[in-house]
Amino acid sequence: MNILFRFFEEISDRLLLLITIIISCVGLVVLYSASNGDNNILTQQIVRLLFAISLMLIISRANIHIIRMISQYIYVGVILMLLLVLFLGQGRGASRWLVFFDISFQPSELLKISIPMMLAWYLSQSEEKEINIINLFISFLIIFIPVIFVVRQPDLALSLIAIFCGFITLVLATLNLRYILTLLVIAISSIPLLWKYFLLPYQKARIITLFDPETDALGSGYHIIQSKIAVGSGGFFGKGLMNGTQSQLEFLPERSTDFIFAVFSEEFGFLGVLILFLLYAILIFRGISIVTKAKTYYGKILGGSIVIIFFMLVLINVAMSTGIIPVAGVTLPLVSQGGSSLISFFVSLGILLAIGRKQSGTK
Amino acid sequence: MRKSSTKYFGRYKSSTTFETRFTLLLSIGFMLFILLLGRLYYLQVINYKHYNTLSETNRIKYVPTLPKRGMIFDRTGKLLADSDAMYSVDLSLSEVDDLKSTIRAMKSLIGISEKDIADFYSRKDKLKRHDVVTLKNHLTDEEVAKVLSVRHLYDGVDISAKLLRHYVYDNATSHIIGTVGAVDRKDLRTLDKEKYKNAEFIGKTGIEKYYDKILYGSAGYKIIEVNAKGRQVREVDYNKATSGKDIALTIDIELQKYAYEQLKNYIGAVVVLDPRNGEVLSLVSSPTFSANSLLWKNKTYNQNFEISSSPLFNRASNGLYSPASTIKPFIGLSALYHRVINPNRMIYAGPYFKLENSERKYRDWKPKGHGYVDLATSIIQSCDVYFYRLADLLGIDRISQFLENFQFGKVTGIDLPNESAGILPSRKWKDENIGRKWTKGETIITGIGQGYMLVTPLQLAVATSIIANKGKIILPKINSDFSHNISEKLLEKQEFLTSQISDESWERIQKSMFDVVNQSNGTAYWTTRDKKNMISGKTGTVQVYALSQDDDERDDKDVPKHLKDHSLFVGYAPVDDPKIVVATIVENVGSGSKYAAPISANIINYYLDKRISE
Repeated sequence: MNILFRFFEEISDRLLLLITIIISCVGLVVLYSASNGDNNILTQQIVRLLFAISLMLIISRANIHIIRMISQYIYVGVILMLLLVLFLGQGRGASRWLVFFDISFQPSELLKISIPMMLAWYLSQSEEKEINIINLFISFLIIFIPVIFVVRQPDLALSLIAIFCGFITLVLATLNLRYILTLLVIAISSIPLLWKYFLLPYQKARIITLFDPETDALGSGYHIIQSKIAVGSGGFFGKGLMNGTQSQLEFLPERSTDFIFAVFSEEFGFLGVLILFLLYAILIFRGISIVTKAKTYYGKILGGSIVIIFFMLVLINVAMSTGIIPVAGVTLPLVSQGGSSLISFFVSLGILLAIGRKQSGTK
Repeated sequence: MRKSSTKYFGRYKSSTTFETRFTLLLSIGFMLFILLLGRLYYLQVINYKHYNTLSETNRIKYVPTLPKRGMIFDRTGKLLADSDAMYSVDLSLSEVDDLKSTIRAMKSLIGISEKDIADFYSRKDKLKRHDVVTLKNHLTDEEVAKVLSVRHLYDGVDISAKLLRHYVYDNATSHIIGTVGAVDRKDLRTLDKEKYKNAEFIGKTGIEKYYDKILYGSAGYKIIEVNAKGRQVREVDYNKATSGKDIALTIDIELQKYAYEQLKNYIGAVVVLDPRNGEVLSLVSSPTFSANSLLWKNKTYNQNFEISSSPLFNRASNGLYSPASTIKPFIGLSALYHRVINPNRMIYAGPYFKLENSERKYRDWKPKGHGYVDLATSIIQSCDVYFYRLADLLGIDRISQFLENFQFGKVTGIDLPNESAGILPSRKWKDENIGRKWTKGETIITGIGQGYMLVTPLQLAVATSIIANKGKIILPKINSDFSHNISEKLLEKQEFLTSQISDESWERIQKSMFDVVNQSNGTAYWTTRDKKNMISGKTGTVQVYALSQDDDERDDKDVPKHLKDHSLFVGYAPVDDPKIVVATIVENVGSGSKYAAPISANIINYYLDKRISE
């Protein structure tokens, strides 16, 4: 007991840990409802959650210098796993999963943390590094090499998310505003090319229906319409747990993963949304405080990346459920079903806690 | 101020600190955060009424519709299998206010057994809150009308229709047509998941399984609008399911029924082929089962048989038996081809055959022996000693090589699932499968179809057809549209049989087989009465229980039922223009002449007299 107590004593930010666990528990409740009260799904998620929390606690105790040193190995390891997926992956339609015994795992989810780690390691070798074209080129390689494998799976949504995560770190690390603007211009001007050569028909359909969901009310627009009805019909107080007709009568697709926020807002209403947003906000603020206090440049960049990426992914998922951006496979951090995404978020938060440790700050 | 391009990409000191960049990104995030909150306020508070109405009234649901399974006909166009509508009364769990009183009301209305109610509760416990559970299946039209008339009084009560497979001749055709069953876990691994999405029944055995893809058709869907209680308001869109294709079999259902009746009280199998094209006219395996009741997991097999007689097992295409004496015409033909004997020379055949330097006696079925016999007499009277000698002269290599031409040891390629290949023994086969060397004694007993060799009744029918056709090989089929892939090797075999074996040899063997039935000393002469259809054939008796070396004779009455001999017969007719081939096995009854021969003759006569001449 004493050891356990001291273990928690040494967690750098116990409020962050507490909020993380509270959000996860809210997630469990929503998942139970989204799966129409399926105990098996709930038990599975609890097991995954316990595993992810343990992993987070172990990582939170690590010295930030060690984490910095193993960044490159983790990066290479994830690429190797993606290679494996390419050769023996499993999944419906696209092959995204590795299956060991009965446990399936989606390595591409880990890119959300492995790319920022690698970039932070590379770009923090000298403080406030002066940018040159070679650094920029290598940074791009670091981002795009693993993404190529994900595009091949094919998983457009996660490819974009991985690129997005890499760019956040890049922006935080070295670029001045001119570079950001230049990059934005390049990115926007490359959209027509992407549209023409890279997007699959179903991916195009998703984007088109975003602008006018009613044109294809039964195809790609179905997701958006049903999700908006779910959110909107929740009202201020919500329909109550297990009473959301949109989700319980199975009108809402992908209820336990991508659209779990719609289930939440249908059953808990705007009031519930406010509380959930408050919890996320506290988490973000604790993160900001860790980052501003971080002593190493690596810690700042990686910690900053983790906080911003986490924040942005919450926003993207909510924007998706409320019909603002195209339907894409982005999970709601800490709430959606799925072990791989859960692990990547908990590992990220574990690293954030490690950055916040007092002794690891001294250099 | 202008800056040189080298400065732009070169040593340009970052103009922002980490803190500024971090703050910038965070500000963007919080701006979006506020924006999203606004969006949610807009959806959930300002537009609540709009969306709430949508969720209450305008609900669009996607419902799969299943295809109607293809029908199965016999060769004369008679319906063998169809899908009937079955009505059941269902309860939608989330809508029923008072489950107990609703069930009580239904019970008094249409009479629901205690067992149905118990089943309902056990199923209900496994399901979720919003599921629909069946209360009673197989409603009559009257019951359907009764339920529909009071449905509005009870929330959550509804009638649903399901298409259920129905087999017109049930037991008589169950081994050919097979059955359909619920999709299980094993099927899920091999099925085309797109095609069989939401499928309830798929073919499990027989034609139903072999042609499942054709019979199944393809599923469609319906997009419907439902009201707040989940009931359909209108249909928005639909994509019709495509019914499965019908199949016409080569089976003659009247002959099938007749053969089934003939074999009903025995354990065994009959295969009837048209030797001209390989069409299976009838295929019976007994005991059989009721395919209709199997679907409902009721008791399906005839109570007279024990479970150990495995009624579900298709003996005709999967039962493995020693060919016994039915192999003799083939061995005789081999001896003629290899010229190891003069077929007209009389040879003395005593009570047993002995190899040089061996004490072991290979006994004849006739305790005193047959005396002086030639090849023809040996086939007509089924003399074992003569064939022991032929086998010894031929040797196992020549025997197995020759028998290969008759497709022994190989699946016939019939359009039924999981057919057995049987065993055609050879030195190589024994080495690979038993790991010991071939012995001479094993060659000897192969000469009378005992030992390692195993065949299915179907294989026997095919091999007999080849004799009837003087070497033309036919492959069996049940679907009239089915055509076999003829391999290069098969054509080579046929070439060998038709050109290397003289007409004289074929006719010599055919004549002997004709005399088996039509000469007074033939083994099947006294047991087959009607001779006008010119039947040729060969009897066989499979020893299930071997005689010990010292016993000279045995008394059949002392042998327990399950150790009694199997009775075999292969035959065709009419001799000069064969139109029908029959292979029959009856298990554990006694000699071939007594049981299998008369059954086969009856089937041949029925077919030629009643089915063809009509």
